[in-house]
Amino acid sequence: MARSRIWQYFVLSVYAAISIPGILCLWPMPRSLKAGTTSLVLSTSFSIDLQVQDAPEDLQQAITRTQSYLRNDNLGRLVVGRGTSDLGLLQGAKELQSLRVTLSNEAGKARSISSEATAPLGSRSEEYSLVIPSAGSTATLIANSTLGLFRGLTTFEQLWYTAGEATYTLEAPIRIIDSPAFPYRGLMLDTARNFFPVSDIKRTLDAMSWAKINQFHWHVTDSQSFPLEILGFTEVAAKGAYSNSIYSPEDVKDIVSYAGARGIDVVVEIDTPGHTASIHESHPEHIACYDSSPWMTFTNEPMAGQLRFASAATTNFTAGLIEATARMFPSSLFSTGGDEVNLPCYQLDVETQRILNATGQTLQQKLEMFVQTLHGGLKGLGKTPIVWEDLILTHNVTVSNDTIVMVWSSSSAAEGIAAKNLQIVHAPSDYFYLDCGAGEWIGADPDGNSWCDPFKTWQRAYIFDPYENLTESHQHLVLGGEQVLWSEQSGPQNLDSIIWPRAAASAEVFWTGPTLPDGTPRNVQSALPRLYDLRFRMVQRGVDAIPLQPLWCALRPGACDLMDAVKVPSPHDR
Amino acid sequence: MFSTSALVVLTTLLTVFTPADAVWPQPQNLQTGTTPLKLSGSFDITISGSIHNAPSDLHQAVQDAKNFIKNDKLERLVVGRGSADSAAVKGAHTLSKLTLSLEKGAAVNSITSEAQKAPDLRDEAYTLTVPADGTGASITANSTLGLYRGLTTFTQLFFYHDGTTYLLNAPIQIEDSPAYPWRGLLLDTSRNFFPVGDLKRTLDAMSWNKMNQFHWHIVDSQSFPLQVPGYTELAAKGAYDSASVYSPKDVADVVSYAGARGIDVMVEVDTPGHTAVISQAHPEHIACAEATPWASFANEPPAGQLRLASPATTQFTSGLLAAVAKMFPSSLFSTGGDEINANCYTQDEETQKALNSTGQTFEQALDTFTQATHKAIRNVGKTPVVWEEMVLDHNVTLGNDTLVLVWISSDNVKAVVEKGFKLVHAASDYFYLDCGGGGWVGANPAGNSWCDPFKTWQHSYSFNPIANLTDDEAKLIMGGQHLLWAEQSGPQNLDPIVWPRAAASAELFWSNPSSGNISTAVDTALPRLHEHSYRMRQRGVNTINLQPEWCALRPGACDLTA
Repeated sequence: MARSRIWQYFVLSVYAAISIPGILCLWPMPRSLKAGTTSLVLSTSFSIDLQVQDAPEDLQQAITRTQSYLRNDNLGRLVVGRGTSDLGLLQGAKELQSLRVTLSNEAGKARSISSEATAPLGSRSEEYSLVIPSAGSTATLIANSTLGLFRGLTTFEQLWYTAGEATYTLEAPIRIIDSPAFPYRGLMLDTARNFFPVSDIKRTLDAMSWAKINQFHWHVTDSQSFPLEILGFTEVAAKGAYSNSIYSPEDVKDIVSYAGARGIDVVVEIDTPGHTASIHESHPEHIACYDSSPWMTFTNEPMAGQLRFASAATTNFTAGLIEATARMFPSSLFSTGGDEVNLPCYQLDVETQRILNATGQTLQQKLEMFVQTLHGGLKGLGKTPIVWEDLILTHNVTVSNDTIVMVWSSSSAAEGIAAKNLQIVHAPSDYFYLDCGAGEWIGADPDGNSWCDPFKTWQRAYIFDPYENLTESHQHLVLGGEQVLWSEQSGPQNLDSIIWPRAAASAEVFWTGPTLPDGTPRNVQSALPRLYDLRFRMVQRGVDAIPLQPLWCALRPGACDLMDAVKVPSPHDR
Repeated sequence: MFSTSALVVLTTLLTVFTPADAVWPQPQNLQTGTTPLKLSGSFDITISGSIHNAPSDLHQAVQDAKNFIKNDKLERLVVGRGSADSAAVKGAHTLSKLTLSLEKGAAVNSITSEAQKAPDLRDEAYTLTVPADGTGASITANSTLGLYRGLTTFTQLFFYHDGTTYLLNAPIQIEDSPAYPWRGLLLDTSRNFFPVGDLKRTLDAMSWNKMNQFHWHIVDSQSFPLQVPGYTELAAKGAYDSASVYSPKDVADVVSYAGARGIDVMVEVDTPGHTAVISQAHPEHIACAEATPWASFANEPPAGQLRLASPATTQFTSGLLAAVAKMFPSSLFSTGGDEINANCYTQDEETQKALNSTGQTFEQALDTFTQATHKAIRNVGKTPVVWEEMVLDHNVTLGNDTLVLVWISSDNVKAVVEKGFKLVHAASDYFYLDCGGGGWVGANPAGNSWCDPFKTWQHSYSFNPIANLTDDEAKLIMGGQHLLWAEQSGPQNLDPIVWPRAAASAELFWSNPSSGNISTAVDTALPRLHEHSYRMRQRGVNTINLQPEWCALRPGACDLTA
């Protein structure tokens, strides 16, 4: 009897020591973090004391949201018993009464989060410092910018669990100094293959902000539909959108401002010259090989049709359309696409061949002129162009040296971009494509498979090395990366479940960098329990993030690992 | 001039794109015309006076059908959607009445009781007639279950545009009955829990596909959400939390909801493997409970299996199964039997002691155990159902009426029927909905789904239920089902991971399309499946897109060789 009680005591203390190995709850993990083992309860009268003069409205709203999350997350710690065993530790714990929020440098009027978030990539400050004393005295959040304060608030929200009536942490004092390892941490959504209403995009932006993702790459149009209403070019959406599936200029404004208030810049993509068949509905004169069959000869997926870029009129039209679109978005970035240009389409297009003959230019020369014209227009508006890798690697188009290139075909393509000294955003299909692994969607092909099978798990995305295959001298070219949802097989019905929590993986890769605050390499084993916390918080906040494992595993960190390498004893084991 | 040629083009388009119907699964025998027919504003469905004391679930089904017809508001999937049909529908006759009647002498039972009969005793046949002149439509059948299937078909005949509900293909004459008696869906509610509301929505969706068998894999090693009278400690200690429990009242609710929709609920209490969680309440009955490394003792964590060589455990299990069986009116009960881990028992001292004392081999003990548990459920009137290993891997005595589920590979079908057992197709290489979701075991970034790739609807649909079987062996095929193992699923992705894919097996086992050319069958099925999927969505189920909407509006345009 006595022996067994001593044994239980022993196990309990081991359990307590092992089960709280520093902060389990933050995603992405801060760059620098010190935490203790003191319990601290959020006072029922907890308040956030905003010490910023003339605080911008979006910062005030961010604080209101933080208070709401603190009240409503109601997240039980992911251990057997869901934190009820913590209640004992909370008896007599100090209470945190307030968080003081200040800017480190009060020179001038504070800018809005939105304007900080949409500033050029290199000029944003997302840095913040968060200190939570264990004694119950005021916590402090300090940053150089309202954007930094917003990131700090996001971290603060994730520190708290709920058990019984208590909202608490077991890890005070906490000291965090944080800033992202990479400036570009994105998510791409394709709204052309299938349409997503504004509310779905807003929910996605919310979830992005919880993972400190700061770039929404909006692949808004494609060959299948053209849902963007552009001033001066309204006929393109009027005829090219699916019925009742249009983003009006007001919708765009709404999305951009919703994103900005959440620290997210919206970079729009009008993919050219390929992926444009839907423009044919309003402007047949600008589209070559429209709906040609067999489609497979003319395009990578149905339907065929590309801008007739050899034509001066088409180049002019496109440049105008792109400038008009660019004016709708405050971002300093704009993607003109450039992937998967199909050459047979132009070889068989009588009009294109006539122009080439008449001018004595090659298709490649015409493509370069086309791209340079579009990019010239963008620069006139102060925008930096983004292109897909194909323009550089396949078509050898000369672009200005500030152009940002997105790698998609394979992670190995980054090397070739770096060799040209161009900046890189990683979006490789072999790590970051969220649509892979869902099988063939082309009809009458029962044996077909996803072209980029298999499914890219969060673990797979998480082990991506941004510097793989790059020499040290090229590493500065990497701006960051993003996970990508092409929506041939997606819609509002599976938007949350196909993205979350997977897309949080790259958010940590590009925020936290290769090492954890204690200097050890970032790894999937220690990440999983934290990713669970984020996933459950997302579900509590209304995003349908999927389970990554049976709940049994979520409550027992390490127990479902391949080798049981970090099996943690739990009360359940006794 | 111009308008004339435009008219010609329009007519051609209508001829090409007007589907014969948008019914899923495709009726066995269907004749349609080309006359449009509008639904009258005062449209009503009546149960013929010859059906005395019509059961309440039939009345409810009629009400549900009326609601669907009124609320589906499905615009036809063509370019321009419903507006393409405006001209055709203008001035069409109106249909104001559908009458349901039973064949002379047919028994008037509830849909529920008809659905809960043994599979080969269910009568799901019906005849549906919609005249072109607007005179009353009719459904006749031999059973209320048949009438229910006919009502389901009827609701799928209609499209909607601008306040008008209509069809384009009267007169319609349908004679329909299923090719196979078992058309099922398995849901695992143990790896992750699904609230009753999710189950009911799934049952609704199943009924729209004329699926008739809900295979409820209710418990497993990870959690025990079923509250069993007399064994309440199992859920009390083995459920994820007190909110993640199916009470007897919940079970009765699910069973009756299913029954009213023509669905029988077959519960599975998987034994002797997949039972680790029982150790929470009864450690004495579980060998190698949560032993590590788990990979040596189980196919997935946590390890733990019933100590089948122990008479006390056998008695406990028999009692438990009988108590569960009494909660479900179905004639069927699955005792599982998959993935028994031999090493677990080799390492278990208790098991080795028991084997030594009786002089039995492990296989003999498993036989004793299985006979005891099957006897227990037979005593409460159930026919046992088992996974294929019980027949192919173990030397177990099974009654020859036992149903066998093939899951490991469709290649194993032949071996099972060669032993003379009735068989239900549930092969992972065609029907596992979870395949292709990547590896879920932790600390394994290179891990992939064990049954990769993802099984598309097309792949499932191309399955041949009687491949390589003799005529006599083919008679043993009861049908088949899609399955969702829930390691990576929960309420968050239930609809999108199941629908519309699971509709593929529903049509496969109702309409038997593979009797013809399969690539043609897949090709012609897709437009109907799109329409069916959009209809399910209108009814509140989050079916995913199979293709860009551009393709859905242009049948055939996104086919491989288009």
